Amino acid sequence: MSVPDLLNHVLHTDLPRSVQIFAPELVLCGTIVALLLVRMFDAHRWLPTSWVALFGTLAAFVGVFAQFMYMKTDGEHESLKGMFHFWGLTADGVGTSGPYFTGLLTHDSFAVFFRIGLLLFLILVEALTILTGIPDQDDGQDFYTLLIGATIGMLMACGVNNLLMLFVAIEMMSVPSYVMVGFLKGRKVSSEAAFKYVVYGAGIAGVMLYGVSLLSGVLGTLSFPELGSRFALLMGDSAFTLSNPTAVATILGIMLILVGVAFKLSLVPFHFWCPDAFEGASAEVAGFLSVASKAGAFALLIRFALAFQGTAPAVQTLCLIFGLALGVVSCLSMTFGNLAAYTQTNLKRLLAYSTIAHAGYMVMAVAAMMVILSGSKDKDAAAACVSGLIYYIAVYLFMNLTAFAVVAFIRNQTFREDIDSYNGLATGGAVTKLVSVCLLIAFVSLVGLPPLAGFFGKFAIFSSAFRAGSVHWFLWVVLGLGGLNTVFSLFYYLRVLRAVFILPPADETKPVEIPGMVGAYVVLITLPILALGMSSFMGDLDATALDVASQLFHI
Amino acid sequence: MESVGLSGYLIVGAVLFVCGVICMATKRNGIGILMGVELVLNGANLNFVAFSQHTHLGLDGQIASLFVIVLAAAEAAVALAIALNFYNNHLTIDVDRAADLKG
Repeated sequence: MSVPDLLNHVLHTDLPRSVQIFAPELVLCGTIVALLLVRMFDAHRWLPTSWVALFGTLAAFVGVFAQFMYMKTDGEHESLKGMFHFWGLTADGVGTSGPYFTGLLTHDSFAVFFRIGLLLFLILVEALTILTGIPDQDDGQDFYTLLIGATIGMLMACGVNNLLMLFVAIEMMSVPSYVMVGFLKGRKVSSEAAFKYVVYGAGIAGVMLYGVSLLSGVLGTLSFPELGSRFALLMGDSAFTLSNPTAVATILGIMLILVGVAFKLSLVPFHFWCPDAFEGASAEVAGFLSVASKAGAFALLIRFALAFQGTAPAVQTLCLIFGLALGVVSCLSMTFGNLAAYTQTNLKRLLAYSTIAHAGYMVMAVAAMMVILSGSKDKDAAAACVSGLIYYIAVYLFMNLTAFAVVAFIRNQTFREDIDSYNGLATGGAVTKLVSVCLLIAFVSLVGLPPLAGFFGKFAIFSSAFRAGSVHWFLWVVLGLGGLNTVFSLFYYLRVLRAVFILPPADETKPVEIPGMVGAYVVLITLPILALGMSSFMGDLDATALDVASQLFHI
Repeated sequence: MESVGLSGYLIVGAVLFVCGVICMATKRNGIGILMGVELVLNGANLNFVAFSQHTHLGLDGQIASLFVIVLAAAEAAVALAIALNFYNNHLTIDVDRAADLKG
């Protein structure tokens, strides 16, 4: 193809389609500019920056939602026709899945589903920050700029289709998070947390980039769809052994990249930053990091893992090694996270270790997927793994947000975050009682007890690990450890609930009074935990997740 | 002038990478660690450029290295700002003195 043809193709075919798909992200970029302008013209005194951010995010959410409905109904939805028209959605653009921006990103319902989840979460976090008053009016535009900037990185991570974009997306979600952790800049612990986070994060990013350079150099491409076939081509018929230089360099590159992803997922042994960063950061930021950056990183991990698919024996072995490595990391994270959570006295730190353990459960699904793909080639079973993971992440969003929101609201009343300060919380006013019950629901769901939504998420992941066990026995070991860990985890969650409901309040403190608005917000984000476990929404989400996951495997 | 071939560049890149990792692992000064990070990033960059010259990677490698330079600058700016904030609160930049958070 000649250069003018190529330019014509990019300008007239690729670019309009890409802009159409990328429009919600562009709206978010516009919101960031608007936030900065509001501050520049001193308008933030009568136009709070939080509302600008919330409005921009809502617009972006509607955009992604329109894309999702368009893909689901092929643009035939009568009542949404106006919305499709407003966002300029066409059958060649959003209606067709496939790579865009000359193959750097990819568009399918998997990416769109994750983007909906992330934007919904961003809206909820912004509402939370408006209610808790962190950041204050003067710092608002800085905070929301960082928050939205990090989210754009996560949105890009959902559609990564190129090794370079993998690095750019991870950096885009990391760099603003470093600053957000240190946002309370006068506090000693906050500055320490941010410093530790940035030092670990920068180091790991460098290591990951070295892995990217090795992998791209050995396979001669940066594009995800070509990685697997190039590897098969280079290996030919030779078996996968550690004396083969191509195999060794590829494995090394993949391992170094996985180090970077594991850092974002706070998987053991790359979890050191997580408890410190969560304790030093405000609870709002900790909640954002614990859910959003995990969801983005999981989408990215699945895309990267699926880049290595093929029928050649060497690729199969690579898949198996990939899956088993993730399985080992899953065991370590679950066990370590749950054991370390026992001795914690600070609730945010306890939740940080619980986050590590949950990342372990979730990565089990990816491990199961890779092991299944390496052996049986059963794409339906692999899609079931991904759909289980999607369900779990969707539920986890609400469980963890509820937990961190309660921490933030209680901190606003008592100025403390240690577990002892929760003693006798349930003896407070009516709203406080309600919030305590919401905390109970969130924690019981985090343990994974039926009939709450957390149970069904965990069940889906465990059953996919069980199926993968028939391909390689090691997944049964992982599954057994996961079951044991679920029982372990019961105790430290119960310790917090015991403080809230059973222990008497300290004598000198007055009962905690929580404003009614706050109670309404907490109830609003707790309801999905109940709804996704006990109503028909559960079936809806499950069906959608399976549909989205099957598209990933072109079933 | 005769080309030194791919392996020469890769060896220099690997040496930079190892020096950077050792620097990150042993330095107690926060700024020193960030310098180690720069070494690692430049080692990777050298790999990218060398691969783009000698393998099928082509121009992609050079574009990647340009992106990395920009991102490294952004990250260094943020890291130095956070290091300065840490210094303001602790009057030291020694990472071992960052010991308030543990457990």
